Amino acid sequence: MRRWVREFGLGIRLVVTGGRPSWTRLGLTAVGVGLGVALLLLAASVPGVLAHRHQRVDGRDVTSSNRPTDTSVRYVLLDGSFRDHSLYGVVVQPVGRHPSVPPGLSRLPGAGEMVVSPAMRAALSTPDGAQLRARYPYRIVGTIGDDGLAGPREYAFYLGSDELDGRWQQSTQTLDRWGAPRNANRLDPTLVLVLLLGVVALLMPVAVFVATAVRFGSEARDRQQAALRLIGADRWATRRIAAAEALLGALLGLVVGVGFFLAGRQLVGLVSVMGISAFPGDVVPDPVLAALIALGLPVAAVLVTLVALRRVTVEPLGVVRRSTARRRRLWWRLAPPVIGLALLVPLIGKGPSTSGQSDTTRAGLGIALVLAGAATLLPWLVERAVSRLRGGGVARLLAVRRLQTDTGGTARVVSGITIAVAGAIALQTLFAGVDHRYEKVSVHESPVHAIVTVDAPFSTADRADLASRLGAVRGVAQAYAFGTGFAETATGDAVPLVVGDCATLRGYAGVARCADGDVFSAATAGTPPLPAGTRVTLGVDREQANRWHLPASTVGVPWQGDPGGASRAVLLTPRAAAAAGLPNSLPTTAYVRADHADDVVDDRIRTAAARISPLIGVQPMVSSSIDARFGAIRTGLLLGSIAVLIVIGASLLVTVLEQVRARRRPLAVLAAFGTRRGTIGRSVLWQTAIPVVLGLGVALLVGAVLGGVLLRMSGQPMSFDWTGALGIAGAGAAVVLLVTALSLPAVGRMMRPEAMRTE
Amino acid sequence: MTSETPRADPLLVGTDLRRAFGATPALDGANLSVRAGEMVAVMGPSGSGKSTLLHCLAGILTPDSGSVVYRGAELSAMSDTRRSALRRSEFGFVFQFGQLVPELTCQENVALPLRLNGIRRREAERRAYGWLDRLGTGEVAGKRPGDVSGGQGQRVAVARALATGPRVLFADEPTGALDSYHGEQVMRLLTEAARETGAAVVLVTHEPRVAAYADREIVVRDGRSTTPELAR
Repeated sequence: MRRWVREFGLGIRLVVTGGRPSWTRLGLTAVGVGLGVALLLLAASVPGVLAHRHQRVDGRDVTSSNRPTDTSVRYVLLDGSFRDHSLYGVVVQPVGRHPSVPPGLSRLPGAGEMVVSPAMRAALSTPDGAQLRARYPYRIVGTIGDDGLAGPREYAFYLGSDELDGRWQQSTQTLDRWGAPRNANRLDPTLVLVLLLGVVALLMPVAVFVATAVRFGSEARDRQQAALRLIGADRWATRRIAAAEALLGALLGLVVGVGFFLAGRQLVGLVSVMGISAFPGDVVPDPVLAALIALGLPVAAVLVTLVALRRVTVEPLGVVRRSTARRRRLWWRLAPPVIGLALLVPLIGKGPSTSGQSDTTRAGLGIALVLAGAATLLPWLVERAVSRLRGGGVARLLAVRRLQTDTGGTARVVSGITIAVAGAIALQTLFAGVDHRYEKVSVHESPVHAIVTVDAPFSTADRADLASRLGAVRGVAQAYAFGTGFAETATGDAVPLVVGDCATLRGYAGVARCADGDVFSAATAGTPPLPAGTRVTLGVDREQANRWHLPASTVGVPWQGDPGGASRAVLLTPRAAAAAGLPNSLPTTAYVRADHADDVVDDRIRTAAARISPLIGVQPMVSSSIDARFGAIRTGLLLGSIAVLIVIGASLLVTVLEQVRARRRPLAVLAAFGTRRGTIGRSVLWQTAIPVVLGLGVALLVGAVLGGVLLRMSGQPMSFDWTGALGIAGAGAAVVLLVTALSLPAVGRMMRPEAMRTE
Repeated sequence: MTSETPRADPLLVGTDLRRAFGATPALDGANLSVRAGEMVAVMGPSGSGKSTLLHCLAGILTPDSGSVVYRGAELSAMSDTRRSALRRSEFGFVFQFGQLVPELTCQENVALPLRLNGIRRREAERRAYGWLDRLGTGEVAGKRPGDVSGGQGQRVAVARALATGPRVLFADEPTGALDSYHGEQVMRLLTEAARETGAAVVLVTHEPRVAAYADREIVVRDGRSTTPELAR
């Protein structure tokens, strides 16, 4: 043991006193490992970020209560957006003498007062925020504290009101304390799957990168080891000395990584990732995971070094890398993907749920094993494939023969890209299969662009005012507002009840001749309209409904249907509504026709509606919008995949450069013969391209299978997005081409005739 | 600076060659000329500049000053591409270590310069086998360099150097890694083959036993050739 410690100490001393080359090597390793550590720490912080976020969101959540108490608050939750930001807004009015105050606020805002989040305050003060200021022109009396916000980039506000117990009362609810049991804002199982796959797919290549980083400068280390052998160190001693250097690099990398992480953490508050933002204080690694990283990484660094040296014989006069003597076996290489699938397949129909921790762990492990299969299968496949290849031109001959003598090295290098691409393809497959679930309803075939709803009694005059104001919005072609109510046939079929003047009804359905007092029965093509004499239960709502019969004068009119999917409706002019016992003031809906291509027309419509009352709801009917959280996850993970490809590309480049440097002697001799640089450049390309093409093939297969299984787990039919998958594979291929191009200057340097001098 | 007197027009002439690596001068005014079919041994102690002289003469290194003229053309005036083409077609090389591409079979190694000269694979491999057979190493044609003995490997290297029919063969310590028996064997084969093909040979060695195969010798010491060379 003392000997081991002594040899480790010698290894560390050799690095510390080794001068600039040694320090450069150590620095490269530390930076490489540091990048990996920072990413791992960031990933280990995700549970904490989500937990803190959930905690704050739960703390401000609402649970309505029926009995007014001393702490009661009447409230309305507003659902809106500004530009690409979701808005979290609550209109409040105290009921009790000591109204409950939401977290982050010192008191409830009074009527006409607003307390806003820092991000919203900042947005309101920018020129671009003019639209938002116009929408909420209230006096800002405070800023919401961090504990009342989901994240630092959130647009949130509390607006005081004194109208909630008036005509808006029916749209309000009452709470007696803020906060709700932990059940809000949970991700659905499919999103859990997506996140799991994303995290595993992004982290596994990072692990490959870290493993590569601890082997930076192996050639110089080889020379050093040969010198140690010359002075009497045995093979095991040289390995331990090498391991000590790797250990020192990993430890330094840990420190550097923590530095990168702390620096990066400060930037977290400035950006919105996956549609959500986090406070720097939220980004705290899970202690267990952080301990695993701190302990596991140095151990892994030593193991990687020892495994890499397993096939290396260090002799006093130099280092020999032994080529493969025996053929690779397939059976154990198939084990990881088979076990992974065995873990995943039983989850089909169940899917991991946030409540089922064991299923989530099992799904994560299954995904990791299937992806690891891409890495274990690749060396076998490359060996089999290149053993059948015959050399073509000189460039291909050199590459093929090189691959035949060392399939493992190149395949290991490519395995990072294979895992990254397989993960990205699986993600793409999953996204393509499930994103329709997250798309909002499209009504672009109908002319309605947005639906404005007023959950309060609006008189005929109010409706006319609403339609007029909405119609005046820039980008809006037409707006009409109508009263709504409850109508149900004797068979229990609910049908929309629409009350409006003739002009409004003409806009709503195919009404031709119309006079006040008329009744119309609208139906979509192929659906018989409700005939005259049909008995209908009708009123403002179910509680205030009366029996009524469609009069004999009822006219059937064609209709395009409504966004809710109804195929029949009853249309009443104001006098007919009065005759049916309906009041003049009714809950109101407005349909707005607008230019779908105008990106900010929604904001203008919201603002126009909010100027009448902030309690008016606006629901844009936009087909291209995907559920915000799902869309953000998709964007985040695809960006992450690209980032991982870049990281993998960097590790690939380092390894290719190492290989080129290790082949300095044959390259210099080839140069002496007069071999063209282009020939060697093409040979390097072939040498990288053959395993990469095979790797991308494996990635396509593994990615498609994994994506398919995950689709089935989320209850979706199997489908495969070839375009997306080929695009990702193309990105992987582009990385290889780029790496080859970047390695060519080094090849050129190695081939300079001057390199012969080192022979 | 000293010189010697060749009897016929030289094929390759290096004059007043100087080359430094950083602050260390490796050549400090060396001269050497070789006639067609002649074998010249370049001798000298380690670090004297023998290999650097060979590399300058072969167009592998460009001298800081002085000239290398091959068949009337100044090498340093040629582009790198042109010099590469010259090395590919007119010169052959044998080195002490690492001269064979480890991934290629011996036959492919010998065929490599032929293929670089545009000869088709089958024809190149046929000629390569002919040379291997001629040098007594036909049986290792399908083996990789790591699987053959040092003597066999050096003979394969000689075969590769001669396969393109070079006018000048540069041999840098070709027997340095061999025992005396195999060293003798390689030198005998190299000399015979060079004589048959009419190739001139520039042989760098520090062993008098090896130098004895040459027609004449020059000695390089501290970067200068110390045997009369240029006087004609």
